[in-house]
Parts: sequence; structure tokens; C-alpha cells
Amino acid sequence: MAATLTQRAGEGFRAGRPATTPRNGRRRLTKALHFLTFGAPGLLIYLALVMLPIVMTVRTSFTNRNPANPPTTWVGLHNYTRLLHDSDFTGALWNTVIVSVIVTVAANALGLAIALLLDRPGRLYNLLRSVFFTPVVLSSVVVSVIWQAILADDGLLDTVLRNLGVADPPGWLSDPDIALYSVASIITWQTLGFCVVVYLAGLAGVPTELLEAAEIDGAGRLARFRHVTWPMLAPAVTINTIMLLISGFKAFDQIQVLTNGGPGNGTTSTIAFQVVQTTFTGNHIGYGAAMATAMLVIIAALAVLALRILQRREVTL
Amino acid sequence: MSTPSGLRTTSWLRPFAATFVTAVFFVPLYVVLVNVFKQGQDITADPVGLPVPPSLDSVRQVLSRPDHLFWYGLVNSVEITAISITAVTVISAMLGHYLARSQGRWARAALAFLLCGLMIPPAVILEPVTEVLRSLGLMTTIVGLVLVNVGYYVPFGVFVFTGFMKTIPIELEEAAALDGAGRFRIFWQIVFPLLRPASASVLIFLGVWVWNDFLNPLLLLGPASGTTVTVGIYRAIGEHHSDFGQVFALMFLATLPVLIFYLAFQKHFVKGLTGGATKG
Repeated sequence: MAATLTQRAGEGFRAGRPATTPRNGRRRLTKALHFLTFGAPGLLIYLALVMLPIVMTVRTSFTNRNPANPPTTWVGLHNYTRLLHDSDFTGALWNTVIVSVIVTVAANALGLAIALLLDRPGRLYNLLRSVFFTPVVLSSVVVSVIWQAILADDGLLDTVLRNLGVADPPGWLSDPDIALYSVASIITWQTLGFCVVVYLAGLAGVPTELLEAAEIDGAGRLARFRHVTWPMLAPAVTINTIMLLISGFKAFDQIQVLTNGGPGNGTTSTIAFQVVQTTFTGNHIGYGAAMATAMLVIIAALAVLALRILQRREVTL
Repeated sequence: MSTPSGLRTTSWLRPFAATFVTAVFFVPLYVVLVNVFKQGQDITADPVGLPVPPSLDSVRQVLSRPDHLFWYGLVNSVEITAISITAVTVISAMLGHYLARSQGRWARAALAFLLCGLMIPPAVILEPVTEVLRSLGLMTTIVGLVLVNVGYYVPFGVFVFTGFMKTIPIELEEAAALDGAGRFRIFWQIVFPLLRPASASVLIFLGVWVWNDFLNPLLLLGPASGTTVTVGIYRAIGEHHSDFGQVFALMFLATLPVLIFYLAFQKHFVKGLTGGATKG
């Protein structure tokens, strides 16, 4: 690594100096070398391992590729029409929407409330903030295993509940009516610290003069929040909402570790989980690629929408 | 009118409420911390009690597993994380500098094209990525996983560095060029040191992301000796479904490096996260 860097540095040196001479050929050579050393490595790896795979996914989505069932042939839009009638996929899509919406609303509301509570100087509050942020740096696998140990049947929570005399505690992760909400709550717990930190930064940006002026004008605590603090938190709300929505749509690790898509038939499956399941476990690579393409389109639409909102906010602020 | 009495109530109410809410939030982490230092049977008997006397049995068991799951995983995780974050930082700083200083339509198009990568879910590209790696002979290798990390995180790096480049006056570079410095010298001796806060953000965030990554190492590295600590935890829960002691101890040991890293760079973390929130 070091060897190639110094070697490249040498090339840059030699190529860099003649840039001032007016000769065109040399200048073009310099430009090409500049691109090859600074621009090309990153762009090339990105092209090969992100953009090319996207093209391959879209291409595969028009085939029936399945290593267990050759030969591969073109099937046109067949995979896409199948998607629309596949209750596994539509169910996973619905689950993803439910999880994303619950996480976005709950983490924003709780995050703002906690940020308002912790928005004071001092050692105690610094410590409490660190506690809230800790799950954000933990791996989703760790978070999921912790909660699985707590929420599993015969897990730690049920043990405590039984000791307290609850005869039949609910199956937090094994009851099909509850499991999805347990998963959403766990992701909320995991992302809450992110929201708190972003809101705290937003609160720190509210000028105290404004709040004092409002107080002198007779505004109560609630009125000050509604008319001064809240409007100034707009960028924080936008950032949190976008980050949480998109991370909700990408949710995979928690499902894989906590429920493996169950209990029953895909009651907690998300689209990311469904894509991996169909492609790698089911070997339906062509069909999985169609799912992946659909997922990409949905996320792209969300991202474009989010960008629009962000830009509009910037204009009005 | 109500301010004096209101102030007096909040003066004890706020710290009390804040501590209480945080304590509730902390319960799951508390459960792990106390149970790491208990023996297996004591956990199910009393999951929330303090470990008295503390026992290092579970930790010792994990460290001396015959299959070396923890140690192999640790070596792989350190190697993959260190190489990936260094490579992403260097490559995306150079690319970010190049794109930020290049005039013209195609540089802007390349930037937009890169930033599209910020929102792509790994699940969408995973299958073709395995094909590309296989055709390069890099499937189930650390080099392959590092390359995938670089490709996937270069957009984030470029995003941070091009944003930060705006604060570096181009006159500095022009002056150095007039004095005869080449592009590499300008970049490494003038620009890169000035990019230090951006580099810190990129290194810290990627460090946590790559260390914690699950899906890519699960499918791109081989089983057993090829796994990372994060994937190792997932493998271990399959084996000892009810031995919470070992699972917690493994999790604790696997997370310790990230936690220390986080506590050491806490300020940077928060700064990196909130840069966008306050600027709006």
C-alpha cells in the first residue's frame, strides 16, 4: 500500500510540474494522470461493486434464473406481475410500512420529549445523554440478541412476570399479533438516541434572546414552545424523519436475528428480509431480483420526496 | 406569576424525571451488564439481580472456546475494519477533492451519480455482488469484503469531503501550485491536513458501521474461521439457545472495542451527526 502510494506520488510530481508549460499534449497527459490517480480508483470500485450490480439486478429481474432449476430464460415482465399477486411480498411491504411509520412517529415524539427533558447543562445530563446514544453505536445484531433474551418465551421478562404471579405472559415474539409491534419497539429503542442527539442540537440552536423576548411579552411555557422552539426545530424534524423512514425500509438484521420472519408465515418479514430470503434461501434469483428492483424504486421515490421536502424547508427557513 | 413556584418544582423534578426515564431506557443494557458476570443457572433464577459474587466464568468460557470463535472473529473484524476505513477515507478524500475542484458538467454529474449510492440498500445488490466477487476470485476473502465496503461507503465519504472542501480556500492550492508543488504534494501537504475534521467524522462513523455490519460478512465471508465478531454472535445464539451467560459474554467482548471507541470520540460523533441538523 505504502509502496504504491509513494510510487503514485512520484508520478504526480513529475506530471504536475509541466502543467504550467503551454504545450497542449503535456497538459492533456497531466489531466489524464490527475484523473487516473485521484478520480479513477474510487469511481471504479463504486462502478464495479454498486452500479454494475444494480444493472445486473435489473437485468436478472426479467429472467427465471434459479440455480436449482436451469436453464435460465427471459420471462419478460412475468416476475413483476407475480409480485403484485404474491401475498408474501405485499405482506412484507405492508409490514415494512407499519414498522417504518411506528418507528418514525414514536422515535420522533419520544426523542423530542427526552431532548426537552435533557436540555440542561451539567454532568448529570451529559451522562444521561451518553446512555441514550449508546444503542446507536451497538450493532443491530447485539441489540436484537439482547431483546431476544428479554422477550423470548421463557426469556428474562417472562421469568420476572411469572415470579410476580402472571400465569400466562404474552408471547412477545411468538404471538403473530404482537411480534411485529415488538420488532418496531426494539428498532425505536435502538434509534431513539439518534433522535435525541439531533433534537438536542436543534434546541441548542434556538437563540435564548428569542425565548426571553417571548417570555417578556407574556408567552407561557407552552406558547413559547409552540411559537418559538418548534418552528426552529424544523430541520431537526426533517432529518430525523428521513433517516428513520429510510432505515425502517432497510430493516433486515433485526428480523433475521429476532424472528426470522415468523412467527407463522412472514408475519414480521420486511421487504429487505424477503429479498434476501427469496434470493439466497429460496434460490429464486430472478424473482428475488424483481423484488429487489421494486424495493429500489420505492426507496428512490422516498428519497426524492425527502429531498424535495428538505429543499423546500431550506427555502422557507 | 407562576414562575417562582414553577422554578422551585422543576429544580428537583427535572433531574429526577430525567434520571428515571434514562433508567427505564437503560434496563436492557443493565440486564446484559449484570448477567455477563453471572453463571448460567443464576441468570434464569434471577435475571435482574446484581452479580454477587461476580463470576468471570462466562467470559472465560468464551475466551477459551475450542473453535476460537471469538479470537478468529476479533482478528478478522479488526483487520476488515482497519483496512476498510483507511481505504475509504483516503480514496474518498482524493475523489472528493478532485470532484470539488474540477469545473464542468461531467464532474457535477459524477458527484450526483455517486450520491445516489447513499440510499441503496445492501440487500438490493448483494446477489450480483457475489457474482462480481466470484468472477474476480475474491469471494469469501477479506480483500473482497473490503472492496465491497469501499464501493458501498465511498459515496458517504465523498459526500462529507466535498461538503468540507467548501471551507478550504482554493487560493492556498493555487499559491502552492505557483511555487511549483505538484498535485500530490498539494493534496497531501496542504489539503489533507486541513480536511482533518472531515476525516475524523468519516473514520469514526465507518468504524462503527463496518464493525457492526452483519449482512455483508454473513454472506460474503466463509463460515467458521472467516467470520467477524458480529456474525460470530449470530452463529453463537444458534448453538447455545438457553445459555445466556455465554451469549452475553460474547456480546460484551465483541462490543467492548466499539464502546471504548465511542466513549473516546463521543464529541466528534455528536458533532458529525448534528452538523446538518443545526445548519438546516
